[in-house]
Amino acid sequence: MSLRQRLAELHGWAGLASSWLLFVILFSGSLACFDKEIERWMRPLLHTPQPIEASAQQVLQWLEQHNHAELHAIWMQPPAPRQPYWRLIWETASGARQQVLLDPQYAQPLPASVGGEFFLTLHWNLHSGTPGMYLVGLAGMLMLVALLSGLLIHRRLIRDFFTFRRRASAPRAWLDLHNLAGVSALPFHLFMAYSGVAIMVASYMPAAAQWLYGSDLEQFATEVSGSYHRDELQRPGPASLPVQQVLEQAQARWNGAPILWINIEHPDDASAVIQVRQRNDSTIASPQQHLYFAAENGALLHHQQPSDAYQAYTWMTGLHKGQFAEAPLRLLYLLLGLAGCLMLLAGNQLWLRKRQARDGQPRALLQAINAGVFQGLPLACLALLWSNRLLPQHWPGRDALEAASFALTWLGYALCCMAWRHHPARGRRWYLFGGLAIALPLLAPLQVPGHLLTSLANADWALAAIDLALLGAGLVGLYVAQHAARGPRTC
Amino acid sequence: MPGKTRRVRHTFAGVGTRSLAALLGGYLVAYSGTLCLAVYLPLARPDRAVWASLASFALWALAMLLAFACRTPLRAWLWLAGLSLLLSGSAWLAGTWGMRP
Repeated sequence: MSLRQRLAELHGWAGLASSWLLFVILFSGSLACFDKEIERWMRPLLHTPQPIEASAQQVLQWLEQHNHAELHAIWMQPPAPRQPYWRLIWETASGARQQVLLDPQYAQPLPASVGGEFFLTLHWNLHSGTPGMYLVGLAGMLMLVALLSGLLIHRRLIRDFFTFRRRASAPRAWLDLHNLAGVSALPFHLFMAYSGVAIMVASYMPAAAQWLYGSDLEQFATEVSGSYHRDELQRPGPASLPVQQVLEQAQARWNGAPILWINIEHPDDASAVIQVRQRNDSTIASPQQHLYFAAENGALLHHQQPSDAYQAYTWMTGLHKGQFAEAPLRLLYLLLGLAGCLMLLAGNQLWLRKRQARDGQPRALLQAINAGVFQGLPLACLALLWSNRLLPQHWPGRDALEAASFALTWLGYALCCMAWRHHPARGRRWYLFGGLAIALPLLAPLQVPGHLLTSLANADWALAAIDLALLGAGLVGLYVAQHAARGPRTC
Repeated sequence: MPGKTRRVRHTFAGVGTRSLAALLGGYLVAYSGTLCLAVYLPLARPDRAVWASLASFALWALAMLLAFACRTPLRAWLWLAGLSLLLSGSAWLAGTWGMRP
């Protein structure tokens, strides 16, 4: 075998083995570019603008009334233009972590929903905790290697970019589509694969920290990020935390810049520290010069000075997450991410069709897995949004039911694909997706304040765009289904 | 078709051993290369730690390419094992100097 053939083998196997997992990661990551807009879409209480009146003190009061366990840490995120609500996260001494979103006016919890954050979590750990995070990292490495080997085995990069023989034989058309989607977004995908793996570098590659800092990983963290830490004194802390005073001090230092996060470490202990982070929407990475205040008297303890390399790291991760960007650039992220999904789909089909053309065997099992993933995931996402609109808002455990409808729809659809794997009309199943996607903005939201007509009338583009995107996705689904009904050789 | 089965089996075995080399051997190369960079980069300790760690994925990706670029799976394993030994050995030679602030 020649070098090119061996690299082609690597490209094919790394690509095929990771294509299903990568499709989940790329698809959910693309949606997560608009996680905060989806969050708002899924929480009808936020569809009408509310005055931002609740203070950090009120948020802490709510926590005091509703949590009686000893606290290890509290994180509070004030309302911002894209997220008109307080986010409150707390961790008890036993390590249990909880999150609640509070409305911006009275600091009362919003009705439960998994929200747009569901897609972000699916993107980086598949809702499977630490094992999921490692699996995503491995998939990211396989993507990186598949991209590099794909680049190396390519003979005519530029010419192929302008080639799309739609009416050619099946493997040829899939190859052209694979190249078109892959090459057009190649720099984006290379960067995303690399920076995506690099975000979790401390978990994936602990070599340098272990060697340079021995077992003292806390010193590693302080030296690299310039963060600050006070050991617990095991004595009761101050009766009330001077949060308001600390925020005023921080804003005075930052010329009134808004606050991104307020973290309180072991708030019940005499060593409690209040950390304040600045929000700056004009920089790629949020500024890392956090301020640390003593909880007993509000005095400034520490001004964070991260190392240069750490700032480079946060720049890289900031560029990956794209949260600095305005909507048009995030839309570009989304489209490039979907181009990646298309590249995976076409590459996977190419692998299959080539082998089918060689030996005539249909490989029904692989095609069933393909349909279960490539059609099943978008369908499950739709089921999640449908359940969000159909379930009464004040049902307890509504978030769990939303997640269940996502999981069960996916599982059910995958099992159907498996059961009917010898049925040739896979492509026509896109009618189901198309119909559900179009019907959602038209039928379901009649009881929701922010449906398409009102959001268009109020020029609430963030909300309207999601409904319009559903309509658009539905039309694409119908087109693909109809295309598949005419010709026998589509997915 | 015995010939075809043998070829398929041969391909699977080849791809399997190479993949194992790419994943495990490749990670070993990346780990050792990170150690080496973390020791010898002419930077302060926190910068050495971060840059070396960030570079590790490039090393891993190159090692994976190498595992498939070698003519036989055995050669792939030898290359990756040799590289890991060389890189981690050179990091080890620096001793405590490598941990300078």
